[in-house]
Amino acid sequence: MLKIVVCVKAVPDPKQERKIRINPVTKTLIRGDIPLVLNPLDKNAMEAALQLKEQLDAQIVVLSMGPPSAGNIVKECLALGADQGFLLSDLAFSGADAYATAYTLAKGIEKIGSYHVIFCGMASSDSSTEWVGPEIGAFLKIPIVTRVKEIIETEGEWWKVKASLDNGFRVVQVKIPAVLTVTRELNNPRTLSFSGIIEARKREITHWGINELCVSDDSVGLKGSPTIVSNMASIELKREVEIITGTREEKAEQLIQKLVEAGVI
Amino acid sequence: MKSSCGAVWVIAEQIGGRILMESLQLIGHARKLADEIKTSVEVVLLGDKLNGQSRQLFAAGANKVYLGNNPELTCYQQEIYTEIIVRLAKEHKPEIVLIGSTSTGRELAPLVAARLETGLTAHCIDLVLNEDKLLEAMVPAYGGLLTITCPEKRPQMATVAKGVFPTPEPDENRTGEVVPLDAPGEVPHRIETLEVIYEEPEGIPLESAPIVVAGGAGAGDHEGWQVIADLAEVLNAALGSTRPAVDEGWTELETMIGQSGKIVNPELYIGVGLSGELQHMVGIVGAQVMVAINNDAKSPVFEQVDYGVVDDCRGFIPVFIEKIKEYWSRNT
Amino acid sequence: MIDFTFTEEQELFRKAAREFAESKIAPKVSEMEETAKVVDEVVKALGEAEMMALTIPEEYGGLGLGYVARLIALEEISRVSVATAMMLQIFALGTEPIIRFGNQEQKQKYLPGLAKGERLATIAVTEPTGGSDPKGCRTSYKKDDDSYILNGRKCFITNSHIADTITVFAVDEENPEAFSTFVVEKGTDGFKPTHEEHKVGMRGCNTGELVFKKCRIPAENLLGEEGKGLRIAMSAIGDVGRGGMVGCALGLHTACLEASVKFANERILYGKPISKLQTIQNKLADMKIDLEAGRLLGFRAASMQDKGERASNEFAVAKYFTTEAAQRAAKTAVDIHGGYGCMEEYPVTRYLRDSAVLGPSAGTSDIMKVIIARWVLS
Repeated sequence: MLKIVVCVKAVPDPKQERKIRINPVTKTLIRGDIPLVLNPLDKNAMEAALQLKEQLDAQIVVLSMGPPSAGNIVKECLALGADQGFLLSDLAFSGADAYATAYTLAKGIEKIGSYHVIFCGMASSDSSTEWVGPEIGAFLKIPIVTRVKEIIETEGEWWKVKASLDNGFRVVQVKIPAVLTVTRELNNPRTLSFSGIIEARKREITHWGINELCVSDDSVGLKGSPTIVSNMASIELKREVEIITGTREEKAEQLIQKLVEAGVI
Repeated sequence: MKSSCGAVWVIAEQIGGRILMESLQLIGHARKLADEIKTSVEVVLLGDKLNGQSRQLFAAGANKVYLGNNPELTCYQQEIYTEIIVRLAKEHKPEIVLIGSTSTGRELAPLVAARLETGLTAHCIDLVLNEDKLLEAMVPAYGGLLTITCPEKRPQMATVAKGVFPTPEPDENRTGEVVPLDAPGEVPHRIETLEVIYEEPEGIPLESAPIVVAGGAGAGDHEGWQVIADLAEVLNAALGSTRPAVDEGWTELETMIGQSGKIVNPELYIGVGLSGELQHMVGIVGAQVMVAINNDAKSPVFEQVDYGVVDDCRGFIPVFIEKIKEYWSRNT
Repeated sequence: MIDFTFTEEQELFRKAAREFAESKIAPKVSEMEETAKVVDEVVKALGEAEMMALTIPEEYGGLGLGYVARLIALEEISRVSVATAMMLQIFALGTEPIIRFGNQEQKQKYLPGLAKGERLATIAVTEPTGGSDPKGCRTSYKKDDDSYILNGRKCFITNSHIADTITVFAVDEENPEAFSTFVVEKGTDGFKPTHEEHKVGMRGCNTGELVFKKCRIPAENLLGEEGKGLRIAMSAIGDVGRGGMVGCALGLHTACLEASVKFANERILYGKPISKLQTIQNKLADMKIDLEAGRLLGFRAASMQDKGERASNEFAVAKYFTTEAAQRAAKTAVDIHGGYGCMEEYPVTRYLRDSAVLGPSAGTSDIMKVIIARWVLS
């Protein structure tokens, strides 16, 4: 049976992300009360796993690292059709950069045991580094393919996928186990269903902390992070703005006038 | 040049023997950093049938080029590229490693960083050295700028997008040392790039367009996006986007402008239905004239542009297009 | 201590319902408004999203969920389309008597199809001479061997022309004190939907008249015991009907508030958005206060019902409050929009029209007060 691990992240709702601001005086984040949601590209990762499960004999394990409240996105993945859910949650894990996050997730995957393919969203909407997927692969010493936009072949050990490049794409052959990070083009994620939510009642989320993972506290979280945020500044890219007013027609005419005067059209 | 600390490295990238612009820009900036800490700039270049590219790298500011030149390295192959760079870095212990934020760079950089057990800052918009000669990488987030450092681990690594740093004026008098690299020997073979297809980007390339029209979440849906695309077409402009527009599926990742997308310097920028998030705006600070069209008068974008129109984009743009056509027919 | 938080599962239900409403229903709203017809794709989408299955027991192909889950779903659908929420709420109202009072065979026969959305349901109580007063019912039945013969006319019946399974309330031809409830299937001889109403609002759901002329139905279509039909009709309307209207009202109210906030932030007057004006802020605050109060009333009643307690009085209070509040909210939303509030491209005009239909549905506000007063005086 094919065992698929999907790594997911709880991110502040991207539609409300604007509310998060840096306090210019204290240089700390003003978080507001933005709910945590499933990272948009992780939905594509989940969908990739679900589609494989529809074709092959497969089991889907969802793994996330985050605060206890991130349990809701693991639950959401169970409701979408994942078989098992794991949440790595411990105060010691907090403040992790991409490196420490990938390390912790890799330890979680090792503890889960056997796996054939690991799906991650290409990037998270809140930090957008794109590092976690590849670094998980590096820690597990398995190959990775980033920006997968089509899964061509999944027969046997060598899979064939198509992945985006800046100006085109590449066709890659990869031997599983492997990490695949996926783009939005890969699929159209399904939406939650009521019966899926009810089905998920039967599936418990396993919570693992630092003791269960058997890792030292200086290898995870803030302590295990090579990079730190050493400063936060609010910056302003301000320009002197002129708001153009009037009826629609007047506004359009005035704007054209201004742009002609500036010599740009 | 003998130095007290490790060198500043740039992992250069080539396609068909042509060195990418972002690599040259990184070398130019690496030169400045290296001078500050009195060390050398060293470039790793992997490819096949390379001949004379090193001179270009020296002219941009490199002191030394580690040159891998054999058929196995023709295009990026994950395992062998990673292996070569990791071994080389373990041997020579660079202080700083810079990599372009290209699709390849974004895959290679985290693999190298994880294997060197060091930190990697993503898609910086500036790199400076502080008084302790620690690399400070600037990353926009949450309407501000984060300074990211890697105090303990070495090398300090960062990826940088094209256009963040200027292309250095080539100095043909500069020379340096070419260090040929041996084949790395036994490397696991579990992944292979079978084929690379380059697609002509549709429309005008963002990086060189004199006019850029960018759309954001305010487009609302595919139809709304089409209205913005129509404006770009009429103005003969390149069409750019913000991350929310890409996430909604209205446009391709390649059109994204900003910190994790492209950096552009047009004469005219028109932002439609976008809120002026710093991650996007850092991609267009170089624009001469900036216009924002947004129906939310409170949107922060109206503090960052020269001209603002508070209106619904779907209502306003068709009128705007008509008026542009009228103007042109009167003036040609 | 009372727990006022939704469970993780209920939050997921809300998310699922919102995703469904925004992706499948929202694109059809303008078609519903233009044609004033039920849009087939909407009905199909409701079925595919298991919206007809919510409260049907699992053994009959339903989801076996309670009133809180139903209220969440209706609230989210109504936020996008009150007409669709109304149609859905009446499907449940037509199904509920079979769930509560149907025998094994009746449940087996009807519920699985209703749960899948292959069959659509409604309930027919209201008549020209009596809706809120069911004893004024003139539609009559008469036992004839192993069948019943129905005669009469029902009006203002939601889903009249699309329903396949209609729960009909009728009076014994020979005994004006005896009422019974029957399941009538579409296509039965002597039964037909006739006049279709043209409503001011909720245009995307169908309302009309049903006529029974010597309509012969088999005796096995009698729900519960003969002569005990009043309780059947009343219990369905009291909980499911009123509870459903609360969902419709809360969703509409939320939509009014969201549209008002959006407009107030966009509309510039005196050089700044009108949301900076205290007079507008006052209106927005009023809408929010009503919405919060209404949600507490509605979900309190729904959770009582889920615990197996009787909640028809509590639903009467919630129905009165939320439908009145939604009408105020729609009026306020239009006021905030000024001149734009008269233009049909702004959704608040639809909200105002839809809100007008909320009050009379499943018992007018005056009838709610009669019920509430009866509760107080009892």
